Amino acid sequence: MKRQTHQLVLAILADLEVYLKTELDNVVIYDDGRGNEDVFFRITEKEHLPLVASLVKKYNGRLVTLTPNVIDDETHELVYHFDIEGLLINCTITVTDKKIPSITPILKSADWTEREMKDLFGVVPEGHPNPKRLILDESLAEGVFQEYIGLSDAMAGAATNKLWEHINEAKRKRD
Amino acid sequence: MKPKEKEIKKSYRAPIGPIHIALEEPVYFKLDLQGETVKGVDILSGFVHRGMEALVLRRNYLQNMIITERTCSLCSNNHPFTYILAVEKIADITPPPRAQYLRVIADEIKRAASHLINISLQAHLIGFHSLMTQTMETREILQDIKETIWGNRMDLSANTIGGVKYDLDQERQKYLIKKLTQIRKPLKRVLNIFKTNSMVRLRTEGVGVIPKEDGLRLGIVGPCARGSGINNDIRDINPYAAYPDLDFEVVLEHGCDVRSRTLVRVREVYQAINLVEQCLKKLPDGPVRTPNLPRINEGEGVARTEAPRGELFYYVKSNGSDKPERIKWRVPTYMHWEALTVAMPGNKLADTAVIFNSIDPCISCTER
Repeated sequence: MKRQTHQLVLAILADLEVYLKTELDNVVIYDDGRGNEDVFFRITEKEHLPLVASLVKKYNGRLVTLTPNVIDDETHELVYHFDIEGLLINCTITVTDKKIPSITPILKSADWTEREMKDLFGVVPEGHPNPKRLILDESLAEGVFQEYIGLSDAMAGAATNKLWEHINEAKRKRD
Repeated sequence: MKPKEKEIKKSYRAPIGPIHIALEEPVYFKLDLQGETVKGVDILSGFVHRGMEALVLRRNYLQNMIITERTCSLCSNNHPFTYILAVEKIADITPPPRAQYLRVIADEIKRAASHLINISLQAHLIGFHSLMTQTMETREILQDIKETIWGNRMDLSANTIGGVKYDLDQERQKYLIKKLTQIRKPLKRVLNIFKTNSMVRLRTEGVGVIPKEDGLRLGIVGPCARGSGINNDIRDINPYAAYPDLDFEVVLEHGCDVRSRTLVRVREVYQAINLVEQCLKKLPDGPVRTPNLPRINEGEGVARTEAPRGELFYYVKSNGSDKPERIKWRVPTYMHWEALTVAMPGNKLADTAVIFNSIDPCISCTER
């Protein structure tokens, strides 16, 4: 029982080029030999992301999840994983200013994952209808996944004054 | 009588959680109530966030099979399984046919046990305790199977990169068939009560409705989606392991309420047992894993499986070293929290626990 998804892949990619009004480069199609195909491609313009989302909506698709990747302090690589009739469409975009247009108004399934990205990585989905904190309390700083704090540091912070010294210093800076 | 009516119409906000006697894991609900009726719900999470996505980047590919298994106890087979599928895509490894069938057997035994624990919890929440103990007693047969074949009651560690870690010899196959025959009778008795008992029906019918359109909009998955008539079964729409060679039909119910979700789970318990029996009949000979240690190239891979709660997704990015550059996973329950804001309003406060249980919540899964 082999599924015939290749026609659908070609149709989606053709539609995508019409929507984005540009030719897609870097399209990679992975076929697992059982008729399942995963499509990977890259977009460069931020304005293109809502267009990709509207295309997915046209096909009655949904957002599976969104993977933020830390490249350096300012640069993030975001991978959007969409599902259309069992087909995985993976769209990668690099952002350098910690801002990205929100696709939640188009695809409601993006709601939580965009808020999680804002909490943990500090990348702000602009135009999100419900931009409240999701995972972290309001009192904590945004983007905790930006830096790596070793367990031994964290433990030392809990057992000594180190943590409070950090907090007081941050407070002084803020004031 | 008039002053009393006035009192009932009063609206107030009831907090449940983060630590509450009705919750198995910490999560924070803020319910807006008008009298006894729920008007709105606000959900806050993040109380059991363990930073697993950061942790896995500091371990190698083989160690990560152990860590991912600790994400959740009830889906514990599917986490390393999906992770392994994604890694196998990057490394271009095809496991031998016997391994594909053994993977399905482990998967389906876990699914049956997980569904039974969910419906027994439902019996507990509606106050039908004899049904709960009976269901748990039936599930115990599956626990025995797990302990005998994999050596553990929850974490099976069945899968490895390039195949599986266990094999079923003639004696174990006989044992498995014997146990599966043994479970059918008590299972039928228990599941019939869920199907027909009037008290169970009264507490679940028309409660916690997630209409099909809302389900599609919110992207819900698994038995929740199938209870609303949406086919999101990854075994069918994106088949993996031996599922393309097996004969099964996706279980769909169209009631959209708690009862439909329960019936989907009930029918899937039978389906799981059927699939295991089919696998045992068709089980091919040969090795159970690829011979050499895997070499993971540079690249990225995505994989999905149908965990007991629904679609489980893994994304793995490799830079060619022995440690991954990024692993991200999205658990099925993650999509269901927003669905609660659709399912809960309009119901009574006393029903919120039943509705909450019907999405098969796993909070440690959601927050990783």
